[in-house]
Amino acid sequence: MILTDREIQIGLTRKQIVIDPAPSSDAYSSTSVDLTLDPVLTLFDIGEAFVRKVVDPTHEKYNIDAALKELTKSHTIDGKAGFDLEPRQLILAWTKEYVHLPLDARLAARVEGKSSLARMGVGVHITAPTIHAGFDGQIRLEVVNHGHLPIKLRPGMKICQLIFEQTLGTPQKGYSGQFSGQSAK
Amino acid sequence: MMRLKVEKVAEGLHPSEVIVAIRTSTGSERVVVSARSIQSDSIPVGWPLGTREQTTLVELPRETESGAWRIWVPSDQLLEIEERMRA
Repeated sequence: MILTDREIQIGLTRKQIVIDPAPSSDAYSSTSVDLTLDPVLTLFDIGEAFVRKVVDPTHEKYNIDAALKELTKSHTIDGKAGFDLEPRQLILAWTKEYVHLPLDARLAARVEGKSSLARMGVGVHITAPTIHAGFDGQIRLEVVNHGHLPIKLRPGMKICQLIFEQTLGTPQKGYSGQFSGQSAK
Repeated sequence: MMRLKVEKVAEGLHPSEVIVAIRTSTGSERVVVSARSIQSDSIPVGWPLGTREQTTLVELPRETESGAWRIWVPSDQLLEIEERMRA
């Protein structure tokens, strides 16, 4: 079941959902809450067009974080100038808001884009939208401009929405029954 | 609830993130976690999912670099903490 705005707000009050800073009242729709863009981006620095790089995820020494560090650079958006996301450009971005879903809250969430941005071609995740129970942190977004024109990104703009769903039961790692009272040695 | 010992090995791509190494039963895994989740060089992993000899199966808060969510760790890498369950 998808939580309504009222249930999301009750979850926030009961600390079953943590969003910091708390969303403003106009960030809600009937069944979602908007999150905003953090100023820090990660940009891919793929070099000159005549230098061809290939990423091999099957290589025995493949390390995604090392690869990203080698292929990217950090960029902080200037609030006044903004950042122009070019057509076909992929960047990594984060929500300004810290999100936490406690293990025993019986909730998970999905990150979805904003239709107002999607209609201009902007997607905010690539096939990995689930925020699992136990997640904590600022949500990492894979932002791509599939459209024909550059799209201006500014810190604090509404960039994505979270849809909360009630899980059927408590995940195994949030259920203390089996291991209650046991201590690891 | 349990916490799993970790070793910070690098900064993440965002200031809110760090990359940590986790000792597993077969070697080590690296995972990006929220800096806020690290306390006393450990991260929360909930309750164990199983035990086998001197190892314990746990689920990490995020997917590791190799794509794993659940990993077997030496049981001495876990610390138990008290956390009151919500009603």
